[in-house]
Amino acid sequence: MPPSDLRQVAVVTKYELLKYLRSKRLLIIGALLAIILILNLVLPPTIGSGYDPDPMTFTSGMLAEIGILIVLCATFFGADAIVSEFEQKTGLLLFPNAVKRHVLVLGKFIASAMISVGAVALYYAVTVIAVVAIDGSIAANTSLSFLYALAYVFGILAIAYLFSAIFRSSVYSIVLTFFTFFLILPIIDSLGASIAHFKPWFTLTFASGIVLDILQQPYPVDVVRTVERTFRNTTRTLTVAQYYPSVAQALAVIFVYFIIGLILALYITKRREM
Amino acid sequence: MTDAIVTENLSKQFGQFEALKDLNLTIEPGVCVGYLGPNGAGKTTTIKILTSLLRPTGGNAFLNGIDVVRNPKEALASVGAVVETPQLYPQLTPLEILSYVGQLRGLDSDVIRERSVTVLDEVKMSDSAHKRTKDFSTGMKQRVAIAAAILHDPSILIFDEPTIGLDPRGMIEVRELIMQLKERDFTIFMSSHLLYEVQEVCDKVAIVDKGALLVYDTVANLSNAGEGGVALTAVEPITAEQCAAVQALPNVRSVKRVATSELLITVEGGLPEQSDLLDHVKSIGIRVAFYRPVRSAIEDVYLRLVPQEES
Repeated sequence: MPPSDLRQVAVVTKYELLKYLRSKRLLIIGALLAIILILNLVLPPTIGSGYDPDPMTFTSGMLAEIGILIVLCATFFGADAIVSEFEQKTGLLLFPNAVKRHVLVLGKFIASAMISVGAVALYYAVTVIAVVAIDGSIAANTSLSFLYALAYVFGILAIAYLFSAIFRSSVYSIVLTFFTFFLILPIIDSLGASIAHFKPWFTLTFASGIVLDILQQPYPVDVVRTVERTFRNTTRTLTVAQYYPSVAQALAVIFVYFIIGLILALYITKRREM
Repeated sequence: MTDAIVTENLSKQFGQFEALKDLNLTIEPGVCVGYLGPNGAGKTTTIKILTSLLRPTGGNAFLNGIDVVRNPKEALASVGAVVETPQLYPQLTPLEILSYVGQLRGLDSDVIRERSVTVLDEVKMSDSAHKRTKDFSTGMKQRVAIAAAILHDPSILIFDEPTIGLDPRGMIEVRELIMQLKERDFTIFMSSHLLYEVQEVCDKVAIVDKGALLVYDTVANLSNAGEGGVALTAVEPITAEQCAAVQALPNVRSVKRVATSELLITVEGGLPEQSDLLDHVKSIGIRVAFYRPVRSAIEDVYLRLVPQEES
């Protein structure tokens, strides 16, 4: 008899991890990570500006690219995880085994999450070592920032899996995942604040702001102010807004994206025909 | 004893296209069944429903008495399947793929190790056991997929066009492998559009067209129901009297002279009747140089059941 669903999830996770560890994508993520860290650590002394003596500012600067890394992890390790089984016909080997579809999705998701969490953890580890070595201490909330980054990993991966379950082509799901989180949502966040003057609290990218905002002491608050600008004898009143996600609300938003994304990915994959 | 494979009014619709129409088929344990039909007849659709790759729009499908749609995990527990030509994970070796499938099937690691060596040897892939599958040919992938299907020693084997895409040597080897498996009391359900392959390998034949089952019977019965064709080449020219005498022999439907010393004879019945005919031909004084089948009785049945534009 086939083993329990839980045991099968562990088996799927193990072999998905093995596939990722042997993939070129992991090498690309590793290379990118190395480039980001080298630029952050080598560039300041090279151009003569030196390292920031304030641990909080230095940590924030070092972690500024964490969002890009997480988006790339979701794109590389989640965006085609399901669709490739259908598109490349590997599912013909996997699905006729005595295993439920949701077991396969969960096993794959855990593997994607583990490899992404590994990349993020490595980024934080090098950052902490570098900041402690140079400034003698780290920003107070670095560990919280790390936890929020992990939450963001889970939220974004769930949406990547949803795209992967919906589309028939890996190209579409990969491109959509990347551009949604790298371009489309950041544009909505930016336009929302600067033009429409609303707080885009509902987007995953806006919520992910807590990863870096938590490093600031005190935690930043929304700023909405009006300024008067005179141009050619005409005075105009402009509203300038700068919004920050509240931690509780942002975590709730990330959680909702994670739950809805994963449940829909499970449901669609179960219903999907080969 | 529970029937190995049962379909009850099995139907599948893709939009307006009815791929399967109330298919009723019962396959008893231990037989090898060839599933024949033209392209688009519903063969792969049936197999994909049986392997839980598709959901039926109506009816039921059972494997060893377990409903495939409601309990796919339990139903597929003692089933091995090769559907179309599955692709393999390029980052893994055949041994790792078998280990993956074996662990999903709940086999112990010792059993997986032992069985992997055995099945890879059976499919002649032992030499490539430790190589990543990235550069494997279609035939090599097909063999690894067959190894994965038989790894857990299932009671039912389902093959969808197992020799498609293979070179002639690969086709012969896969056919021989299926014949070896047949001797081990597996229930084998194999779709194909190669009639001679089915006649050579299978005990029973199901012919399907436009999603409906046309006939399901033993190869022997279908052979007797159809008309086989044989080509006869004599050492000397065949006279008009000898030709007339052949025409008058039992079970001979028609005789066509294609050369001075060659006849094309249509025979009612199967292999026994063709054998008897050879004896009779010799008895009327024709010295036979070559005697070979040009069309099997199953081909005849198939051609009568499936209209020309379909096949």
